[in-house]
Amino acid sequence: MNFDALFDHIGQHTVDGLAKGAIYALVALGYTLVYGVLRLINFAHSEVFMVGTFAVMWTWIGIGAGNTPSIGIAILLLVLGGLVGAAASGGTAVLVELVAYRHLRRKNAPSLVFLITAIGVSLSLTEIFGIFTGNGERKIQGMPTILNQSIAIDFLGVEITNLQLIVLAAAFLMMIGLDQFINKTRYGRGVRAVAQNPDTAALMGVNKDRVIVLIFALGGLMAGVAAVLWNMRYGFTRFDIGFVIGLKAFTAAVLGGIGNLRGALVGGLLLGVIEVYFATLTASKWEDVFAFIVLVVVLMFRPTGLLGESLGRARA
Amino acid sequence: MLLEIDNVTLHYGRIQALHGISLNVNEGEVVALIGANGAGKTTTMRAISGLRPVSSGRIRFNGEDITNVRADLRVIRGIGQSPEGRGVFPGMTVRENLDMGAYTRRDAAGIAEDMERVLTLFPRLQERIKQNGGTLSGGEQQMLAVGRALMSRPKLLLLDEPSMGLAPMLIQQIFSIITEINEQGTTVLVVEQNAQQALSRAHRAYVLETGNIVKEGTGQDLLHDPAVKAAYLGVA
Ligand SMILES: Nc1ncnc2c1ncn2[C@@H]1O[C@H](COP(=O)(O)OP(=O)(O)OP(=O)(O)O)[C@@H](O)[C@H]1O
Ligand SMILES: [Mg+2]
Repeated sequence: MNFDALFDHIGQHTVDGLAKGAIYALVALGYTLVYGVLRLINFAHSEVFMVGTFAVMWTWIGIGAGNTPSIGIAILLLVLGGLVGAAASGGTAVLVELVAYRHLRRKNAPSLVFLITAIGVSLSLTEIFGIFTGNGERKIQGMPTILNQSIAIDFLGVEITNLQLIVLAAAFLMMIGLDQFINKTRYGRGVRAVAQNPDTAALMGVNKDRVIVLIFALGGLMAGVAAVLWNMRYGFTRFDIGFVIGLKAFTAAVLGGIGNLRGALVGGLLLGVIEVYFATLTASKWEDVFAFIVLVVVLMFRPTGLLGESLGRARA
Repeated sequence: MLLEIDNVTLHYGRIQALHGISLNVNEGEVVALIGANGAGKTTTMRAISGLRPVSSGRIRFNGEDITNVRADLRVIRGIGQSPEGRGVFPGMTVRENLDMGAYTRRDAAGIAEDMERVLTLFPRLQERIKQNGGTLSGGEQQMLAVGRALMSRPKLLLLDEPSMGLAPMLIQQIFSIITEINEQGTTVLVVEQNAQQALSRAHRAYVLETGNIVKEGTGQDLLHDPAVKAAYLGVA
């Protein structure tokens, strides 16, 4: 355990962790939205993210983007990537709902059937991308480096890169937008009504199916934005990229309190920070393992997470 | 005729809860539906609001067949309900709960007017307007559920045991409010255990027994019917 390495640069590690966790937080929102309304862990959500990374990569390569373009072009590519990623991930999420889950709901299928279906959809999408992309070689696929990284802010020795700034700003903006939408708009109120009491929501004139499509679309949209941020940060993707990111985002959702939107943000950021701290202490080796240790510990000692549940409060 | 239920049967899985009931509600009426626990009163409400599909029979509202119309679309046609158990949204404030009642409406001016009217009917809700629904007392939740149903400005208001869990004084009050709502032009179908109150307030009433309508008549007729007296009014 290298405590000096951690504490000598604790500020820097915290910033790095927050930027890392912001991506988890965005993906975590998808788990939390669907869980809050349907009490379903949508394991296919990891692939919703994966599809987004591919869509963004193909768009960048397709329009002939080169390495480290000028800042204007970089921003253009990011915005374009964000739109494409959101559309691709949102579309995939809605498709999964329409093709797989809706039918099961009509049949009043038990929740175990939903869970198995979710895992099945997840594996199918992973394999489809494994076979049909990258010549079926199942290897990492690189893409142009969109952003020329540089230090944007140097505050008391804590350096924040332009990339970290973009990631954090994008994640916070998306979070605030989603929070406002859910808590302040008529459609958002419909979502909360279905989460809190689906039968009464119908008696108020809320179309449950439409609400469900909406939450899948919103969750997908957030995952799509996470996908473009991922591509920008790491510059590669792979058919099974969703697995680890998905599990970490799910951990983040559980950590913050699944079903709670603000919990997803808190959980994601916290997990990112914990990971970076732990990677520093152990010189990286244990980083990924640690996320899952966190998951198990949270489930054991505080299954409702840090903030508890809010979207579907008191359905029980 | 505003509501016409024609020979409706309904099943929960293999259990048959309604055995071919027929019942009418005319525009402007207060109609009561009374019966023992498990008679099928709530089930009848679910059939009317569309929460449960009927197995056979027809339901007509305002002259149109709505048997296969989705529950949320029946609200738009003018059916509002305060369900059994109140169904308050616990994580929404009183105002948000009331706003949910107006979910299908877009006429901001009309909604504001109805909000005013509901808060005048139930001053207690005004006092609690920013409080979460889940933190209200049982009686307050009941007022919220009735007020919320009014917010859709329904042609037909369905009330499932509006007096449940209320103190005797509040029971009087909620029935007075039902009469008031009716006099303001809303047709009401009310399910009640409290048969005395319901029958004395209703123009007409039906008695439901194990999924069958066994009696119907004016409220006054049933109030003085020996069998009804013995079974539902606790008078030998
Ligand atoms: N969801 C359900 N699944 C299975 N059976 C049900 C369900 N809901 C009601 N039943 C059954 O249908 C019958 C009618 O129930 P219902 O709730 O309509 O009675 P009720 O007249 O409203 O009674 P109460 O006065 O106790 O509210 C009962 O035998 C009940 O057990
Ligand atoms: Mg009942």
